[in-house]
Amino acid sequence: MTIKSMSAVRVGDRLPELQVEVTAKTIIMGATGSRDWQPIHHDRDYARSQAGLPDIIMNNYTQAGWLSRYVSDWAGSEARVSRLRFAMKKPICPGGKMVFRGRVKGLTEQAGCIWFDLAITISVAAEVVTESAVQVVIAAENSPWSFTDNAWADLLLAQGDQAMG
Amino acid sequence: MDCDSSPPLPEQVASWVGKPVICMDPVLVAEQGLWLNYCVAVEDRNQAYWDAVPGSEAGPIAPPAMLPSWVVDHDWHPDPGRDRKRTLELHFLLKDELELPFGVVVDVELLFFRPVRSGDSLRAEQVLVEIGEQYQTRMGPGRRWTIAVHYYHRDNQLAGIQTLKFVSYRKEASL
Repeated sequence: MTIKSMSAVRVGDRLPELQVEVTAKTIIMGATGSRDWQPIHHDRDYARSQAGLPDIIMNNYTQAGWLSRYVSDWAGSEARVSRLRFAMKKPICPGGKMVFRGRVKGLTEQAGCIWFDLAITISVAAEVVTESAVQVVIAAENSPWSFTDNAWADLLLAQGDQAMG
Repeated sequence: MDCDSSPPLPEQVASWVGKPVICMDPVLVAEQGLWLNYCVAVEDRNQAYWDAVPGSEAGPIAPPAMLPSWVVDHDWHPDPGRDRKRTLELHFLLKDELELPFGVVVDVELLFFRPVRSGDSLRAEQVLVEIGEQYQTRMGPGRRWTIAVHYYHRDNQLAGIQTLKFVSYRKEASL
């Protein structure tokens, strides 16, 4: 989305749905890309026999990466993700199809930026497996990248508690 | 199990609450080749990671969601005597001290401050935020605890804070 079109976004608007087929490669690439060497993310025999899991499972860093990617697809490369929270209800294994859905839960203007609070779910086989809340910031008058480190930290902490609930 | 029958926390564990218990020194230098593997894994086309933040001359940044990975040590090192800590060492210490060998992450929150760029290296401090009473999980006795990991740049500026909520337990028949 462009900044101009983002200015038309309203609370309750929905993000476009994203569907991703999950394979063993999806899970193993994510684990290695995030430097996670736990065998439950790459060794099917171990995951089943030692951990009692149905298969290898997607690690939390990869889930964070997919959530971030889903948000920046919508908000654009100029946007700045400030906060990402997620709760994993069920494991994500090869053979499933992740369906990402999101909606705008809130928005505020502060410091020349628009702060969006998004509610996102990942579903597999029509069941929500991960629930997430993401805060992403876009420019109104100011780019979210224009602040000093300390000014950004103050803004983020001031926004945080009220936004995420 | 109700609170009255919950065993007291070992003194050492109680003394950890609210303090940095584990400090992780920098173990590697961030570089774009490493973080592009992560972008490929999640098919992320964000220009900020591949090229630069649009309108910025500061060059590309690492995907923020990858923050915790920058303090994960190499899985192998030529020096076999190197002191290598596990990624969430404090979590493993708690599991050992409380004899709760199985643990799962149930909730993760990441706050992003100064972004990571090529050439940066981070250190981290692991803080025990809180620990609950022992209670009966479906599998056996367990506890909940929360760990916050603070990630710092070399000049001590915050890169981010990761807060993880765990449930750890032991299987009833394992004692």
